[in-house]
Amino acid sequence: MADKMSWTELRRTIAARAGVSEKEANAFLNALQAQLKEALKNDKQVKVNGLGTFRLQAVAPRKSVNVSTGEEIIIEGYNKIVFAPEAGVRELIEKGGENIVLDQNEQPSAGADPIQKLGAQAEEIVGILGELGQSPKEEEPTEPTPTLPEKEEESAAEEPEVPEVPMADPAEAFNEPEKPAEPVVEPAPVYTPSFVREPETVEEPAPQKPKKKSHFFRDVLICLLVLLLLLGILYYFFRPQINAKLESLLTFWPKQTEEVVPVAADTTAAVIEPEQEIIEEADPNIASIPEGSISQEQILAEFLEASKEDEEEEITGLKENYPGIITIEPIHEGSRLTWMAKRYYGSKTYWPYIFDANRDILPNPSLITVGTPIRVPQLSAAQRDTTNAQTRQRLESLRREAEELSRN
Amino acid sequence: MLTKELIGLTAESSGLSKKGVEHLLTTLNAVVRENLMAGKAIQLQGLGVLEIKERKARVIVHPKTGERTLVPSKNQLIFRPVENMKEELKKI
Repeated sequence: MADKMSWTELRRTIAARAGVSEKEANAFLNALQAQLKEALKNDKQVKVNGLGTFRLQAVAPRKSVNVSTGEEIIIEGYNKIVFAPEAGVRELIEKGGENIVLDQNEQPSAGADPIQKLGAQAEEIVGILGELGQSPKEEEPTEPTPTLPEKEEESAAEEPEVPEVPMADPAEAFNEPEKPAEPVVEPAPVYTPSFVREPETVEEPAPQKPKKKSHFFRDVLICLLVLLLLLGILYYFFRPQINAKLESLLTFWPKQTEEVVPVAADTTAAVIEPEQEIIEEADPNIASIPEGSISQEQILAEFLEASKEDEEEEITGLKENYPGIITIEPIHEGSRLTWMAKRYYGSKTYWPYIFDANRDILPNPSLITVGTPIRVPQLSAAQRDTTNAQTRQRLESLRREAEELSRN
Repeated sequence: MLTKELIGLTAESSGLSKKGVEHLLTTLNAVVRENLMAGKAIQLQGLGVLEIKERKARVIVHPKTGERTLVPSKNQLIFRPVENMKEELKKI
């Protein structure tokens, strides 16, 4: 066949194109062919970038009946070779190669009589479609007349006339007459009435254009939403740091203008941790006292000292009594109390103990600043015993407490 | 198997460099594509034929709504393996 590119031709073209000798091209092609085959055998799948994938597909065995004897036979399973072109190549061929290849496909079905018949039917269908379709309304009734005679003549000179520019509308116009031009002799008359019966529902594959309007505003909206979301997420993860910043700001302000303090504190009160609230409560008192007797800083320092002392005493004054402390570990980013429990005790269920041991420095157990030194208490056998109902109860109550604290 | 491995193996058995094989393979792909677009089938000796076939336009019916839609005809790239390779790979 003239329309087949032979191995030799391929070799020559490649040699010329790649700038290598034909010998090399030949070696390459032969090796490639052998390797493809081998790969199919061994891996059952070969991917060739820029072309597609060759795959070996298993076909399961199935039952059948011997037509002449009526005997049941089993058709054994086998492998078949499947080729799936790459998406880009597939699209290229679906869109681009239309006209040229179609001409060749027509040539084998070159009987003059059926084509005339089908041509008439094609005209009919295209006419109906033209009435139904919105966009190709005007073009289609005019198109069939030039295309149909061409088909009857079956001239090979069609190729140059149909260039490689398959614009949307002419391409459709070509497709529709050609559908019946293929040997669909019997089904065609069945199709025709169906078009007439339900004319509204037959769709042209064109109406995608109106969608492209007003995308801009939607896009902008989406962008804004995403930005907001990102900000929210950022705030969520860095809440401790942001709160710490706010705190430090608040401690600086009152030095300069003491009257402003209550107002400033009020506006930010919602964001700050309990520690800060204590300071705020103290603020109005200071404002009333004549200047400078006790500064804000002093109060804060006192408070901090007090809390430090507490810390030292605390370990004995806890709800639980721990035999000792395994270690004091600064919490690192992304860690959880539950993870620490898992690491030190081997189970997440014991995390409320860690919370309990660090009550004083954890006003909110779900909000821990990175770097906070966390005490990991040693657990007695009774504390570890989860089969004991009492222990379980204690753990449960501690957990509830922690939850309540983190809710506030 | 991925393209990279194929290139490696091909280079090994043909005695060419990997880069050379890669270059030749891209050239082969380009040539194949161009010729397919020009309406030619490509014969790959010992493997099969790559060719374009037309899928006819057809009317499909939505099973629930009974809606009829015309699916336009399109072209597909198909691979027809050579008989003897087909037989060879049937049973592995």
